[in-house]
Amino acid sequence: MSKLRVAVYKFSSCDGCQLQFLNMEEELLQLTDMVEFALFYEARKAVEPGPYDVAFVEGAVSTTHEIEILKELREGSGILVALGACATAGGIQALRNWANVEEFKKYVYPRPEWIEVLEKVEPLSTYVKVDYEIRGCPVSKEQLLSFVLQLLKGKTPRLPVDSVCLECKRKGNVCVLVTKGIPCLGPVTMSGCGAICPSYGRGCYGCYGPMIDPRPAGLNELFKELGVSPKEIRLLFKQFTASAKEFREVHGGYG
Amino acid sequence: MGGNEGLRLLFDELQRLDYVIVGHKVVDGALRLERVNEFNELAVGVEDVQSPGRYSLVEGDFFRHGPDSPKKFLYPSELVLFKVSPDWSITSPDVKIDRTAFFGLKPCDLAAIKVLDRVLLNVDEFYTLYRENMAIIVENCTRPGNTCFCASMGTGPRARDSFDLAYTRLGDKLVMEAGSELGIRLLNALEVEPIDDVTYGDFVRVLNEAAEKARAGFEADNLPELLELKIASPVFREVAEKCLGCANCNMVCPTCFCFDVIDVPRVDGSAERVRVWDGCLNYTYAQVAGGHFRPDLWARYRHFVLHKFTYWMKQFGTYGCVGCGRCVTWCPVGIDLREAVLKLLRR
Repeated sequence: MSKLRVAVYKFSSCDGCQLQFLNMEEELLQLTDMVEFALFYEARKAVEPGPYDVAFVEGAVSTTHEIEILKELREGSGILVALGACATAGGIQALRNWANVEEFKKYVYPRPEWIEVLEKVEPLSTYVKVDYEIRGCPVSKEQLLSFVLQLLKGKTPRLPVDSVCLECKRKGNVCVLVTKGIPCLGPVTMSGCGAICPSYGRGCYGCYGPMIDPRPAGLNELFKELGVSPKEIRLLFKQFTASAKEFREVHGGYG
Repeated sequence: MGGNEGLRLLFDELQRLDYVIVGHKVVDGALRLERVNEFNELAVGVEDVQSPGRYSLVEGDFFRHGPDSPKKFLYPSELVLFKVSPDWSITSPDVKIDRTAFFGLKPCDLAAIKVLDRVLLNVDEFYTLYRENMAIIVENCTRPGNTCFCASMGTGPRARDSFDLAYTRLGDKLVMEAGSELGIRLLNALEVEPIDDVTYGDFVRVLNEAAEKARAGFEADNLPELLELKIASPVFREVAEKCLGCANCNMVCPTCFCFDVIDVPRVDGSAERVRVWDGCLNYTYAQVAGGHFRPDLWARYRHFVLHKFTYWMKQFGTYGCVGCGRCVTWCPVGIDLREAVLKLLRR
């Protein structure tokens, strides 16, 4: 069987998602028998030219140069996968979309005029067709591995898209919202993480972004009833996937 | 016979008969159904306070239940159906089931087992095996909670059949009824006395009073037909306005048995086929190749309600709802099934 030729690349982001490949410590050697990481700066010096069967692209797009590279990657890859919250929804650097980027440049860089950035930070899908999204900040290595193995088996990869609650209750957790009144984004967030935060008694932070057909406005009403402050509600929805349309509808209302 | 001491003897006797015991424990601020090794692990001195969307424990001497129902054991949330090896050979997992006694189940949960029996007994292998090795000790519910409506559904607060032993705590007295040969055997081992007239009078009165507290304002007569006539009612849309579509109601429902099947590939080339709990409130539940039966959330909510009260009766000859109230309590936004049914009946 010929190996799956994979490119792993990143734009504006922290590298945490692509590192999940390397975090597959137990499975990595077996995986490299089936997968050729032709382009993966984090893992190897050598760079094999495209085309690639699959490109896993982490990070948000924040410069014109990144748009060019992204388009090249799209053209040179059979399947393009947006990897993690930045690639799928802009991530935390997209928080600057609600501020003045010129101001930031002035405070951070001695020669701000040298810094060429786009006015808004955008997910990959703003510029190219994305075939699959793997959500999360960071992505779960179990989901990432499952995705690759499904591809290798010739399946159409399937990842869950319903609420975190589903996963949380299958795991046998007690609802933190109902028992403790902890504001939890689980009822509107896409599952796949293994309901990590509620498993440790905390509310879901929504790093997987909105689930399919979510009702964030209803959850906003509940948080208000529970006495969560407007500021806290705004910050809850304006985190890792602040740019996601459905979450924007809530935090947009709080300014 | 003294209440607590009698229950301890019963517990010990079940262990002597080689039963693994599952009962209520306090974990993470809620009553959980879990395996219990010693009598003093069982929850005591607590009461659950339930209301739509809220659950807490306080000091008290009687409790109802938490999010878990016997479904957790009889129909696990994740069950490996089989494993496919890299050479495509298929192996079924070895299923080892302990002889299990459920200790102190409330009548609503006993009723839920009876409902699941209609659906799964002799159909689902795991369920059937578990069921055949199982004893049920039920505690009659002298103090139904705020979200309970077993009396309306005809499932409680007194268990009438299908148990091995039923007990009722009346002050410091314990009233026991055997419902099977095992139950009779247990009673003999406990050296109980025949009930006297005064205690029997109390027993009947307390449970009759309890029934009055476990009503939803509607009766089960003709409910399937009456609700089906309301299929086009705007009430479904109105109630579902609040719904988040999170499916917590499905997860905590003691009779919701819907499942999804997931193939989990392993790096060694093998794969497992796993059955997991699913629910009709999930968007993907009614999504099929080429379309979707119920893309609107209100239609999914309507299906939940009508399945429990109408379609279930047609399919299985029983209601799918036992009136335990879990879907009311564990709904984060507190959507009240009782209110929805009342609204439907009144308009």
